[in-house]
Amino acid sequence: MKWVSKDIETYLTAKEYVDTAVIPLYSVSFGNEMRESASGAEFITLLTSYLERQFTGRLLLLPPFTYLKSDYPENIVQQLKKWEENIEKNEFKHIFYITSESDWKIYEKELKGSLIWLPSLPLEHLNDQQKISMIESQVKQLLSLFTQKWNENE
Amino acid sequence: MSKHRVSRRQFLTYTLTGVGGFMAAGMLMPMVRFAVDPVLTVEAGGDFIATPLKISDITSEPQRVDFTFEQKDAWYTSDVSNTAWVYKDEQDNIVALSPVCKHLGCTVGWGTGDNPEEFFCPCHFGRYTKDGTNVKGTPPLAPLDVYPFQEKDGLLYLGKAEPKKKEA
Ligand code: FES
Repeated sequence: MKWVSKDIETYLTAKEYVDTAVIPLYSVSFGNEMRESASGAEFITLLTSYLERQFTGRLLLLPPFTYLKSDYPENIVQQLKKWEENIEKNEFKHIFYITSESDWKIYEKELKGSLIWLPSLPLEHLNDQQKISMIESQVKQLLSLFTQKWNENE
Repeated sequence: MSKHRVSRRQFLTYTLTGVGGFMAAGMLMPMVRFAVDPVLTVEAGGDFIATPLKISDITSEPQRVDFTFEQKDAWYTSDVSNTAWVYKDEQDNIVALSPVCKHLGCTVGWGTGDNPEEFFCPCHFGRYTKDGTNVKGTPPLAPLDVYPFQEKDGLLYLGKAEPKKKEA
C-alpha cells in the first residue's frame, strides 16, 4: 500500500494483515554529487514502487526519509530512530529501510529494522522497458528476503 | 452622499463572498467531471492492448505476460505495465487471469506455493486453483479477475481485467 488516501483507507480496515513498513532512504547532495544523488533516488523510487506492487497487501510504503548528505551522521540516525519509534508504536512488526547509500551500513546496528543496501544502477541511458526488466531482476532477490523474514516470525 | 459609501467591513464581505464563490466553483467543476467522466470513458475502456505473446505459443501451462501501455492521468502520462497469467484450458480455450490477489492486492505467482498446480499469494498465503477460483479457507474471497482478449495478427491482445462471471 502506498501513502495515498485510498490505500490508507484500506490499510485502516485491514491493519492486522499489513505488518510491514518500508522506508526508502534518500540522501540529497548538491555540487558534483548531484548526479549520483538524483540517480540513486530514482533507482530506489522505482525499486520500492515495484516492490510495493508485488506485496501491496502486506506492506505499507512510507514516504521517503530524506536527509542532506552533508548533515552530521549522528543527527540523521537520530532522526530516523524517531521514525522507527513511531512506526513501531503503530503495530508494524517488520521494518525495512531501503537505500543505495553504503554509509548506512555503519549504522545498521543502531536500527531495529532491517537495512537493505543496494548499489544504484545507472538508469539514465535506459528506456522504460529496459528499466523495468533491470529493476525486476533486482527485486526478485529482495522478494525472497521479505518472505524469509515473514516466515521467521510466523 | 456618505450613506451609500461601502464601508470597509461591507467591502471585505463582498470581496470574500466573491472569492469564496469562485473557489466553490473551482471545486465543483472537477466533481461534476468525475460524475460525468465514467460515462464518457466507457467506449475508450474497450481498448485492447497488444502483448508480446503469440497465440500459437500459448500452452496449457500458465505463463506470465507483461504488457505496457501509456496511461494519461490528468497532466501526467506514464507507462503502466500490467501482467497476466495466460494458458489454454482443457477445452482449448484461452484463459488470461489477472495476477492481483483478491484479498489485498499482492501479486500472485503460479506454482510458487506448496502446490505446483495452483496460484499462490505470498502475502497471507492465499490460494487459487488453475481456473482462478479462490481456495476456501484462505484469505481471498473471490476468484481472480479475468482479462477479455482478442487475437490480432497472431498476437494476443488483452482488455481491462474484470471480475469473473459466475458460471451458469
Ligand atoms: S493479499 Fe493475497 S492473501 Fe492477502
